[in-house]
Amino acid sequence: MSLKSILKYHIADKRLLFILLTSFSLLNVAWAQQKISGTILDDEKKSALQGVSVRQLDNRNNGTFTSATGNFQLSVPKFPVTLEVSSVGYETQQIKVNDDKQPITINLLVLGNFLDEVVITGYTTTQRKAVSGSITTVNFDERNANQADQDVVKLLQGKAAGAQITATSGTPGGGVSFVIRGNNSISGSVEPLYVVDGVFMNTSLPVTGGGGNLLSNPLADINPADIESVTLLKDANATAIYGSQGANGVVVIQTKRGKRNTASRINFSTKQGWSEAVNKFKATTGPETGQLLKEAWVNTALENGESIGTYLNREKPTNWDLVYPFKDSNGDVDFGRDNIADLPTYDRIGDLFQRAKNTDYQLSLYGGSNTSNHYIGLGYAGQESIVKPNKFQRFSARVNYDNNVTDKLKVGTSYSLARTTRANVRNNDNDPGGIINSAIFPRSFLPIYDANGNYLNHATFNNHLRLIEHLDNNYTTWRNTVNLYAEYSFLPNLKYRTSGSFDYTSNGSRSFSDFALSNAGAATASNSLIQVYTAEQLLTYVKTFNEKHDFNVLLGNTINVNQSQGVSASGSNYIFDVLREVSSGGTTTGGSSRDENRLVSFFGNAGYTYDDRYSLEFSLRADGSSRFGQNVRWGYFPAGGFIWNVGNESFLIDNPTINGLKVRATFGYSGNQNGIGNYDALAIWSTSAESYLDQPRLSPGRLANPDLTWETTRQTNLGVDLALLRNRFNVSLDWYHKYTTNGLQSVIVPSRSGYSTAIQNYTEISNRGIELTIESMNIRKNDFSWSTSFNISNNRNKIEKIPQEQTMGATNRGTSILRQGYPINSFFLYKQLEVDPQTGNAVYEDVDGNGIINYADRQILGNTEPNFIGGLTNTFTKKGFDLNVFFYFTQGNDILNMHNFFLVHGGTQNGIGFDPRQLNRWQKPGDVTDIPKMTKFTLNPEQNNSSANNYTGQVANLSSRYLENGSFLRLRNVALGYTLPQDIASKLKVNRLKATISATNLWTLTNYKGLDPEVSAQSTNQNTAGYDWATVPQPRTFEFILNITL
Amino acid sequence: MKKIVKQVYIGAFALLTLTTFSGCEKFLDLKPTNALLADNAVYDAKTSRALVNAGYSNLKSYSIGSALTLAVLPGDNVFFAGSQSQNIELDNHAFTVTNSAIVGAYASSYALINVVNWAISEIPKVEDATFAEGEQNKLIGEAYFIRAFAYFNLVRSWGGVQLQLNPTTDLTSLGAISRSTEEQTYAQILSDLKSSEDLLPADDGQTRNKLQKAIVRAFRAKVLLYAKRFEEAETEATAVIQNPKYALLKPYNKFFVAPFLTSESVFELSATATNAGTSGSAWFPASGTPRGSYEFRPSNEIINLLNDPAKGGNRKSLIATRGTDVFVNLYHTVSPNINPAYVIRIADLHLIRAEARARKANPDYAGAIADLNLIKDRAEATLYPVGNTDKDAIVQSIWDERRLEFAFEADRWYDLVRTEQAEEVLGVSKNFWIFPIPQSDVLSDPDLNGTNNPGY
Repeated sequence: MSLKSILKYHIADKRLLFILLTSFSLLNVAWAQQKISGTILDDEKKSALQGVSVRQLDNRNNGTFTSATGNFQLSVPKFPVTLEVSSVGYETQQIKVNDDKQPITINLLVLGNFLDEVVITGYTTTQRKAVSGSITTVNFDERNANQADQDVVKLLQGKAAGAQITATSGTPGGGVSFVIRGNNSISGSVEPLYVVDGVFMNTSLPVTGGGGNLLSNPLADINPADIESVTLLKDANATAIYGSQGANGVVVIQTKRGKRNTASRINFSTKQGWSEAVNKFKATTGPETGQLLKEAWVNTALENGESIGTYLNREKPTNWDLVYPFKDSNGDVDFGRDNIADLPTYDRIGDLFQRAKNTDYQLSLYGGSNTSNHYIGLGYAGQESIVKPNKFQRFSARVNYDNNVTDKLKVGTSYSLARTTRANVRNNDNDPGGIINSAIFPRSFLPIYDANGNYLNHATFNNHLRLIEHLDNNYTTWRNTVNLYAEYSFLPNLKYRTSGSFDYTSNGSRSFSDFALSNAGAATASNSLIQVYTAEQLLTYVKTFNEKHDFNVLLGNTINVNQSQGVSASGSNYIFDVLREVSSGGTTTGGSSRDENRLVSFFGNAGYTYDDRYSLEFSLRADGSSRFGQNVRWGYFPAGGFIWNVGNESFLIDNPTINGLKVRATFGYSGNQNGIGNYDALAIWSTSAESYLDQPRLSPGRLANPDLTWETTRQTNLGVDLALLRNRFNVSLDWYHKYTTNGLQSVIVPSRSGYSTAIQNYTEISNRGIELTIESMNIRKNDFSWSTSFNISNNRNKIEKIPQEQTMGATNRGTSILRQGYPINSFFLYKQLEVDPQTGNAVYEDVDGNGIINYADRQILGNTEPNFIGGLTNTFTKKGFDLNVFFYFTQGNDILNMHNFFLVHGGTQNGIGFDPRQLNRWQKPGDVTDIPKMTKFTLNPEQNNSSANNYTGQVANLSSRYLENGSFLRLRNVALGYTLPQDIASKLKVNRLKATISATNLWTLTNYKGLDPEVSAQSTNQNTAGYDWATVPQPRTFEFILNITL
Repeated sequence: MKKIVKQVYIGAFALLTLTTFSGCEKFLDLKPTNALLADNAVYDAKTSRALVNAGYSNLKSYSIGSALTLAVLPGDNVFFAGSQSQNIELDNHAFTVTNSAIVGAYASSYALINVVNWAISEIPKVEDATFAEGEQNKLIGEAYFIRAFAYFNLVRSWGGVQLQLNPTTDLTSLGAISRSTEEQTYAQILSDLKSSEDLLPADDGQTRNKLQKAIVRAFRAKVLLYAKRFEEAETEATAVIQNPKYALLKPYNKFFVAPFLTSESVFELSATATNAGTSGSAWFPASGTPRGSYEFRPSNEIINLLNDPAKGGNRKSLIATRGTDVFVNLYHTVSPNINPAYVIRIADLHLIRAEARARKANPDYAGAIADLNLIKDRAEATLYPVGNTDKDAIVQSIWDERRLEFAFEADRWYDLVRTEQAEEVLGVSKNFWIFPIPQSDVLSDPDLNGTNNPGY
């Protein structure tokens, strides 16, 4: 559609509105029944269409369907009346009928190809064919809501090419890592910018801590039921308009708005269901554990060349009786067969899991008059975790309202309020006190209770039941997201828009450790207030000359202020543990903090299109950030794009097979300043009032870095959009290359400086990849349709330049490495070649060939970057039924299985039991296995093929033995729905009634041996992904969903 | 109409331009509210005191943390029963170049050195009438001592190290400094101690947790013992022992009972309710009260030795039993945890002098045995036979005594290395008697020439 025809349409629409308005007012007066008859045809083939819905626009309950000959009859109360005619695969039409004098004929247009779709391009919308950038839109509808996740980001997984989304655990409302087209930065943020109805969202975590585990996702505050569409802006030209904020991509979320001139509808929906664990942790039985421990002692004594008696006398722990219950009646050590075979087995893991309840209610009201439209949504979601005792709840309310005050002035608001609670959050599953560890680590023959029924702790681990029953750690987030805008059209083609928005988040947390959990009680209470203010001015000018020259110009300015402040208090030394407030503590302390950053941006964008065939775009943005030094705080980010709309060339315009073809190229720069501290460019001295002997202290805190400036990413994107076979087959293909320079990194500096790191612009990182999206309408008949949507993408990440390599991860074990020439998130381990069948010892690759195994022999043996990821959705509809089947897959990434790291320890961990994988250990010469023989440590840890390095020594389990392939194919969601036929629904006095059964994570294909391949337990640090460590697995969920529209 | 459009354009542009170039820069200048914004914040008496107090505070953190971990885990009195890799490595003598306990100790030593380097360089420049008489010198003297202390920790853990003697004002000020030899490092330590002693005022009668001249001398005795300069070590030890401020207390456990700071203590780093001390939680059993993680456990050997009345005597009070769990009870206060770090006790000076007397060029065995027996007598253990002149036997029994006397203080591993017993007692080959320099330093500091300590 050209601009001109849009305008024409607009005018026609206006008249229609006027007529409608009058018809409303007349409604009460006349109530005579009149009958309309007519025929509906395919516009192209001029063939009759069966099953087309014909309804009265202002009273959709009054409707009918066309017969096999394409005919229909409909009684209406009065004239004139407007009919809405709709059918799958055709454009919905509205027809005004003035009288019943003669039958009408309506020609339905086949749906246009996807190049005609209107897409959001950041600040404005435009048709896809005029877009040079790489943009992916995901429309949210009931099908998305079938999936059990209550989190918009999780619902996007597998739906958009180029977006790598990993739920870090199966905790409801838990962490999700979201990276578009690979990690650009080491110390800067890699998260995209989220813009909801024009509001820049704060993404501070409501729940922090958790030993590296990302425990929460701030976007879980958004009710997915309110979302209309999510648009991903991926390349430099698409994100250019967001400049400094856009280097990691932009996620533009639009919430639902009512449509003008539509009758008000009330929609109610509910989901009821349950979740359960697909796989559970495993432990060896008591006798198996005993046998393994015995072997460890016996083998080690043998290795030391001493008798088991001597060895035990020197090394046996004082609590031998309990930890190694192998004793005769005199209490002496006795490895007798019966002693071991009679060991009991206590199941702790069963206590951990539960069948979790899911509940969801949504109520919405939407519609519009001829000058305004509204959407009001109320929602409640409650999800229990499959691992006790965590629960997520969200209450949300939204009001979206737009009013056309005059022809020229439009004002509106988006207002949302959400209260999110995360109850009984296990903050520290990675720690000995964590619930998961306390259940999986103790040896299975150790009792849970003592003789008097009291909880027993073993080794360093707390009692799992004590933790489950006494946990009191709650988080509440109140979030208010508000946007107010006004739009004024000076001229039909010159528009000014001003908008103010703020995102206000209040995170409160309360926790208490009673006397069962702490020696004298401990309470904490903290509140943080995060406010993001955005003011935005926008001037757009759109003009077509001589029907062939389209110009558009956009000028704008935003001011962004991000403030956060917090107060916290803690109490200890309680007399009673029933009084849980901080103020009841014998000792109380408190603190407060405040910080702020600001960003001022100016931007412009200009585009020219010739004859709908060639387009050129150029944009420039200037950003000033308060985070950087005065002389280097402004960054300038230009971008440009070119389109050749081949489909509109004369040689293709009438091609029956190729209905649309567009070639795109963009190039541009974007910046990043997120992820670093607000004042990192400034030298500071830190102080505290009460230090040694409660006297004040003062010490150098940070060196000045006046040259700290923007991290800059340049990106080239080449793309093709193709529509084939009467627009039933749409393909988008993109290739991109990103190169980041001046990368922000906490660079390690020599310790002798007194500092460990300094934030600097140094690193260079590249990402390149291909994205393919295919949308296909396979079968389109009146009573049956089948459509497929498929996307696949790959990304190659590489550190091009880094000051020095740096190891990190797994609580100081340095299993992840940043090294030049390799991707971020590479695993750095010793490579186990084999377990020597003769000795039972592990043989590692001696990289430098010097005969000893030490740090020089560690190598990069894998990384967390998949070769490709993607999603496949098939939708079938037949009569009232619809079936939606969604697969998600990832291939070629590695996972470090930390459960095996700890629980396949060969006897070296003094207080820990075993994973059944330990049973595969080498036992006698000739055994071929990858698990070395049981041994506690012995000396000379550098020797290869020595028992010292089996599980400890230099290698200390940092071995490829525990690195696994994390590829999987998962049936993420399958849902079968049934919509009641219109006539029955009408009799029930409802507009629409739909029932759905849905299963999430029903089936997974993987070789990964841990509980679930979709895991990333150390993800609070973007450079340590891919660890499986005391994490709640993704649950399998079954739900029943009911949708009623009145 | 066109005119209006033009005006709007011009207006909008004027507005944008205006905001850009006048208001913006000011709008974007933000300052932190919780930290001092400065390249140098030391300008008066208060900030000088606070800077030196930061030195004490870091010294305390080091002494209750890294110092203890590095000294007890590789030794034979304590074994590690938890799952943290860095501690398992220490326990197994598999010191890796990325071991976080080793890296942390190395980095925090230099962080401490940077703090006191600032004090040494800036406090002399401060002019403030509110300084008490001699206070300025005292503060500088304290800083010199703390620097000596930090370098002593470095040299006995990593061998000769880079001597960083100026504050870091920016990264280019680091200068090219290569590693010194062990001798050079000891020379720097002794020189700092000399400066400290010269600057400190005369001792008072009660202070034990802030610097005193006697503390400098006691510490010098220890340093000289490590440097095997026995005659001087004896002289320094004697000077402190003769000071009436210090005495051996009976029974043995008296020194670790609140409120601490007993006359046994020469130098003790105190904790308060708001500034916690040595945590007992790693030592307490997992069940019962107070509850701990029971990761640091006494070895079977040390339990047998402490429980042997002839050897341990009443030092068995260092351990206690709960159920079947035997645990270390030295760091026993909880809620609040005010266990201090026992840096130097008078008992140490007796044993330093005993060893110095036995090992000096003209040995004084009788004097050595007299000092040894003071310690044994206080512990109610069997005394060493008077009149023995078998040097090896006397020295060995002094070393064995140290093992019991300082069983769970920051001493054992360093003692085994110093006395060259580590291979015989622990089976650790000499290559691993000092820790590796952190890998991150080897990579980031060109002055290390990419090389680590031998063996790593």
